Amino acid sequence: TVHTSLDVVDEKISAMGKALVDQRELYLGLLYPTEDYKVYGYVTNSKVKFVMVVDSSNTALRDNEIRSMFRKLHNSYTDIMCNPFYNPGDRIHSRAFDTMVNSMMMQVC
Amino acid sequence: NSELFTLTYGALVTQLCKDYENDDDVNKQLDKMGYNIGVRLIEDFLARSNVGRCHDFRETADVIAKIAFKMYLGITPSITNWSPGGDEFSLILENNPLVDFVELPDNHSTLIYSNLLCGVLRGALEMVQMAVDVKFVQDTLKGDSVTEIRMKFIRRIEDNLPAGEE
Repeated sequence: TVHTSLDVVDEKISAMGKALVDQRELYLGLLYPTEDYKVYGYVTNSKVKFVMVVDSSNTALRDNEIRSMFRKLHNSYTDIMCNPFYNPGDRIHSRAFDTMVNSMMMQVC
Repeated sequence: NSELFTLTYGALVTQLCKDYENDDDVNKQLDKMGYNIGVRLIEDFLARSNVGRCHDFRETADVIAKIAFKMYLGITPSITNWSPGGDEFSLILENNPLVDFVELPDNHSTLIYSNLLCGVLRGALEMVQMAVDVKFVQDTLKGDSVTEIRMKFIRRIEDNLPAGEE
């Protein structure tokens, strides 16, 4: 599912063209609904892609909640980039990031 | 805005980790580099702060915490845990700008990330005729709630040999 959605993300990015990129346009919205899952996308100016897969049975999740989750992910990601021991491209092993993601997921489940 | 400073220090430490294969060597290098900074920084400090000669170690502690740390790192550590003889004390740092955003990976658990600071303090005090021992006893990077630096007065340096570079 995640690989297909990455293709959709790339499609959307190339469709954006030279549009001014601001906070709203970083959020790509619902990429690709399937029977079991909804997939949301978010891309940064540095072309880092965040993909969120949500169970379809979770209908309570609103658009602005997803946006704020992506914003938190983006902020935590920039904190990780500032860790001198982190090499861009590596798997993320940060305790702070894990804590933030877990608490975020607990709020919505 | 201290982000460039924090990132520079981080780059320095990670480069040392790549150059030397074990944490202990990196710790020694950081201390050495700190020492070389300290013996020079003291001149800048004395010129800018205009403090006179300290009469005792307590005054020294105050000057270090309230003037020096404030001037160079923008923080004011608190002074605690004086030994009965008045020759040892602790500096407690609630936050340490050198370690913003830093998380120590598991394979560097014995690294004393901010060890440069120990060298700086040691070098600077040596230039004002005090031999001290400086070491970290608590570190927020290792899970402690605060960062604690223990400073111990060893002796007054009587003979004014020119500062040797280590």
